[in-house]
Amino acid sequence: MRFHLPSALRKWAGDREIVEMSFPLDLRMTIVEAIELLGREHPGIRQRVLDDQGSIRRHVNVFVDGENVRFAQGDATQVTHASEVRIYPAMSGGTPNPRPLPVREGEKEGRE
Amino acid sequence: MAIEKSISPQSGDVILMVGTVKGMFIFQSDRARRDFRIAGPYFKGMEVFSTAYLPDQKSPRILIGNKSQHWGSTVSWSDDFGASWHEPAEGNVKFPAASGLTLNSIWALEPAPLVGANVVFAGLDPAALYRSDDRGETFRPNEALLNHAERPFWMPGFGGLCLHTVMPHPQDPKRMMIGISSAGTYRTDDGGESWTRRNTGIRMDEAGPPHAPHFRPQCAHKMRYDAKNPARIYLQNHPGYYRSDDGGDTWVDIRNNLPSEFGFPMVAHPSRADTAYVIPLTGDNFRVPIEGAARVWRTRDAGESWTPLGKGLPDHDAYFSVLRDAFIADTLDPMGLYFGTRGGTLFASSDEGESWRSIADWLPAVLCVKAAVIS
Repeated sequence: MRFHLPSALRKWAGDREIVEMSFPLDLRMTIVEAIELLGREHPGIRQRVLDDQGSIRRHVNVFVDGENVRFAQGDATQVTHASEVRIYPAMSGGTPNPRPLPVREGEKEGRE
Repeated sequence: MAIEKSISPQSGDVILMVGTVKGMFIFQSDRARRDFRIAGPYFKGMEVFSTAYLPDQKSPRILIGNKSQHWGSTVSWSDDFGASWHEPAEGNVKFPAASGLTLNSIWALEPAPLVGANVVFAGLDPAALYRSDDRGETFRPNEALLNHAERPFWMPGFGGLCLHTVMPHPQDPKRMMIGISSAGTYRTDDGGESWTRRNTGIRMDEAGPPHAPHFRPQCAHKMRYDAKNPARIYLQNHPGYYRSDDGGDTWVDIRNNLPSEFGFPMVAHPSRADTAYVIPLTGDNFRVPIEGAARVWRTRDAGESWTPLGKGLPDHDAYFSVLRDAFIADTLDPMGLYFGTRGGTLFASSDEGESWRSIADWLPAVLCVKAAVIS
């Protein structure tokens, strides 16, 4: 099973975007159980994706094999050993580290 | 004013910890409080509902309750005035599965040195009180409040069902007052083993919920102890101003000549008896300075009369709110006062409120302000 992590969660997985975990071929578990296992390997991920009751947080979208679990069976969506799991913060994007603004006329280079 | 990564305060300096909807900033000045440096923002993009300063001479600590809309809330800390931050991997404030609750935000962080040198309490949304015995690194719930018989009757306000005020008694480690919106004020006299609602004398405009019409909720906004007499408590609630002279058992109306019933914060002078400050706003849903003129009102007789203070504050066209945790005093003499607005301005007074000036104009909406004098 492969987990694709958003940039905000990668620091909890050694700065990796993709984390691969091996499971038996006959694996049957829910997406929440899979995230719990991911969190055991990489502390810090579980609580950021799941709330205190073990449900996927309201503003986090989780896709299993291309389908948003909210439109499947939610927390009970089944995964297999070969599932591709993608985790996204809702409505995110833009540029967290934008380019420096151009220096304006009359302003010193190397502004603080 | 250049923004720096961190501050390096000296003994006697004042720091302000300012939580906003987009992260936290730290301001620093010497005791004259004429010029402030600003550092941050820390935890960019996160809401910072609460902060606290733990004054340990070897290793002073700044705590913050930060919330990501995506990834949830934690208590994080810095032991070097913002140069580096510790963010716990797993949640250090969590509701037990059996509660059926999940953490929304951390509204209050309050050290309780009389209870224990390393004790910090956290007030949460949904309303719960948590305790740390390791300077804010791990927390556990107060079970008596978590399982309180009246919990089913508590109703959330606009800000959620939040336990926003935590007041350890300054002389009795077993006693504590808390404020919950919307439920009211509760007190423990036995170190948190039991909690009793203390709303007697407070006007209730609303009936209780349909399943508990006998329960009259009170939307307490902020409480403070009097500087010299902890049996005396000042309260700003949703529709009024109150004072208790018996530790919260009963309350009397102290609106008197104040221009409005509505406001969020309440500040008591840290060393002068009978002296408190409020910022009345137009109620109910407009919640801005009355007639667009920002005023801080002061009482020096425990609420029998109030005087407006506005020199340096906007006289017109001011349409901002000041939230319950965004107004604070420092402990210097003369005392400094500070309040942040939802418009992103941070106002300061270094003469006990007589005159004011802005020390930051374009912050994100301010959620909380705490002040500390470095020792």
